Amino acid sequence: MLATGSYNIFVLVKQVPDQGSKAGINPDGTIDRAKAKRMLNPFDRYALQAALFTKRTYGGTVTAISMGPPPATEVLLEALEHGVDLGYLLCDRRLAASDTLATAYALYKTILYVGKPDVIFCGLQTTDGDTAQVGPQLAERLNLPQITYCEDFAIVNGKVEAQRIIEGGTQKVVTDLPVLVTVANSYHALEYKSFRGAWRVQQLKRNPEEMSKYIRTVDLDVIGADAERCGLKGSPTIVAATEKVGEIGGNCCMFEGNSPEVLISDLLAAANVKEYIAALEAK
Amino acid sequence: MSDEAVTNFCPKGDVLVIAEVAAGELQPVTLELLGAGRILSDKMERSLLCLVLGHNLGDIPQKLIEYGADVVYVADHPELYQYRTLTYRRAVCDFLESLPEPPHTTLLGSTTTGRDLAPRIAAHFDTGLTADCTELDIGPYEHKSKVDPSKVGLYPNCLYAIRPSFGESLKARILGPWKNPQMATARPGVMIPLKLDPNRVGKIVNVPVNLQPEDYRLVVADTVREISKGFKLTEADVIIAGGFGLGSADGFELLKKLADCFPNSAIGASRKVVDLGWIPYQHQVGQTGKTVRPKLYIACGISGAIQHRVGMSKSGMIIAINKDPDAPIFKFANYGIVGDVYQIIPEMIKEFGAVIKKEEGEPVGRAR
Ligand SMILES: Cc1cc2nc3c(=O)[nH]c(=O)nc-3n(C[C@H](O)[C@H](O)[C@H](O)COP(=O)(O)OP(=O)(O)OC[C@H]3O[C@@H](n4cnc5c(N)ncnc54)[C@H](O)[C@@H]3O)c2cc1C
Ligand SMILES: Cc1cc2nc3c(=O)[nH]c(=O)nc-3n(C[C@H](O)[C@H](O)[C@H](O)COP(=O)(O)OP(=O)(O)OC[C@H]3O[C@@H](n4cnc5c(N)ncnc54)[C@H](O)[C@@H]3O)c2cc1C
Repeated sequence: MLATGSYNIFVLVKQVPDQGSKAGINPDGTIDRAKAKRMLNPFDRYALQAALFTKRTYGGTVTAISMGPPPATEVLLEALEHGVDLGYLLCDRRLAASDTLATAYALYKTILYVGKPDVIFCGLQTTDGDTAQVGPQLAERLNLPQITYCEDFAIVNGKVEAQRIIEGGTQKVVTDLPVLVTVANSYHALEYKSFRGAWRVQQLKRNPEEMSKYIRTVDLDVIGADAERCGLKGSPTIVAATEKVGEIGGNCCMFEGNSPEVLISDLLAAANVKEYIAALEAK
Repeated sequence: MSDEAVTNFCPKGDVLVIAEVAAGELQPVTLELLGAGRILSDKMERSLLCLVLGHNLGDIPQKLIEYGADVVYVADHPELYQYRTLTYRRAVCDFLESLPEPPHTTLLGSTTTGRDLAPRIAAHFDTGLTADCTELDIGPYEHKSKVDPSKVGLYPNCLYAIRPSFGESLKARILGPWKNPQMATARPGVMIPLKLDPNRVGKIVNVPVNLQPEDYRLVVADTVREISKGFKLTEADVIIAGGFGLGSADGFELLKKLADCFPNSAIGASRKVVDLGWIPYQHQVGQTGKTVRPKLYIACGISGAIQHRVGMSKSGMIIAINKDPDAPIFKFANYGIVGDVYQIIPEMIKEFGAVIKKEEGEPVGRAR
């Protein structure tokens, strides 16, 4: 028998520009975030799956938290469609240009405001900032143990048993709740939206008052965060300059339009290859 | 305040590398960081420090000197024999607090360990941290924006932490000269280590380690290091990498046969096939995987997306096999074969196997 608890499960989700779409990509390679298509950070789908699986298996509620401009409500609605119970959006102009330290501070204050989590699931990293730093920085603020690169998560007799990826292998770890987990993309893929969840979101969309009960928007004053520690002011780093990565190449030696035998013997005849491989051997 | 001083000076300090030891072995990324750190500390005419944590480290501290460190700090404690977030965090934070002045720059490898530890240290000290750098430098910076007046000024010696900003195909230069240490993690396989110099002299200093009960909240029950190909992907001389063009997970069996033609070879993969579950994440090359710099990289059925390219474009030689002559990978491969992987690779196995056997005079197995 599984001991079912009433776990308070938090999952952190971020909205990112959809880089698969050409919309909003400026000629210089930067992103026009107003024009770009938006999506749920792909890595957060694994975190969402871990949160929902934990709820289903051990009991509890899942609260999704996101920090971002108003459109970030979309990712919270998406989380609701997948079966999350409640969403919080931290939205405040003073958060603009937050680096990871400031982001982690703001999310930390949001978490304190929302409640006392037993487990916090984060994505491994995002596809825009792509630092993988927010999770551990948050764990430091909350003084929690952390399990990064987690690819398997279970609660056994009240203890967390997890598997994480390490350089060249894996590691099994055991710890007590509460804990912060960053979920690797080798974890199970996010299941389809639930009928119930999708239906519920449809209902909510028709009823803004009900909606505001399930997607709660808060700002820095509500959560009691120090604005000096957020946004540009609270960020020790800045993006000082960007440059386009130059296109390389044009001098690839191509072999085509022949049988595999000829292609390979042509390749080997390109003297370089042969010597190269020989030099490897001689080492 | 902002009108008063036009030139602010970055606080001074040394360059600190936090070494990585796994299973008793010094990790190559540490030597790379020492190489990069040496350039930074020389530019500022400061010392290169290295902190190494572990238990019974043997000749590792000496080796760190021979690879460039001026002072090696050794945090030796039985409980540090393996990496754990909280014990290492404690030892590193205590050490940094014990220094008379914070280092100017602190570098870690962006391995699973470095990426686990560095953000905790940065958050503890409320300082900036740049992730996954591919270039590091020291240079001036003038901050003109008045949005935050306390930041305005000219900073002569800043850490330039440069990282690819992917989907956007940009390189971003991240700076944080306002507070030391300026922290960064650097991607393995990118920085160049110094040549080992047995005559280099330096100091080895033991530092106290005081772990607290709360540092033991997480227990490592078991560690498994894979002996599969892909283990030490970053150290392989030859990488045979597979992408979506393989059509299915079975394709990797064929790639393994090709890999067997070469000594010290390993299997790499694109993100797409890792996400599909065809091969474990450890094999992933690219922006969100490993950066590799083998002598030879054979890309099989990989389109060559920028996110893949950044992880392997520094390979000595790149051979690409793709059935689409316009595949982007042909823009930066040295040799391109247009064809079906399932027709080309068996032929390669025949021929490459033969070439190598001829050169060596005997069959060659893979070094394990
Ligand atoms: C090109 C570029 C480079 C940058 N480089 C750096 C850098 O090196 N150092 C630095 O400090 N900042 C950097 N930043 C700023 C950084 O992107 C932002 O601070 C961002 O808000 C958080 O970082 P991330 O996207 O990397 O998150 P990650 O740390 O990669 O995110 C990990 C997880 O944390 C959670 N999470 C992160 N952000 C949110 C959110 N807004 N709401 C809810 N959950 C969230 C999610 O679960 C996510 O999966 C960079 C920004 C850009 C545009
Ligand atoms: C934020 C972010 C991070 C990312 N990080 C990474 C990363 O770390 N590493 C990475 O690899 N990707 C990464 N990606 C994904 C990347 O953008 C590409 O989607 C991915 O590299 C494509 O993988 P692929 O080349 O295997 O597949 P595809 O792009 O689908 O290419 C398959 C290729 O195989 C060829 N082909 C098909 N059949 C055959 C055949 N029978 N014989 C020969 N050729 C054939 C096709 O012509 C095609 O060129 C990232 C993406 C994002 C947005």
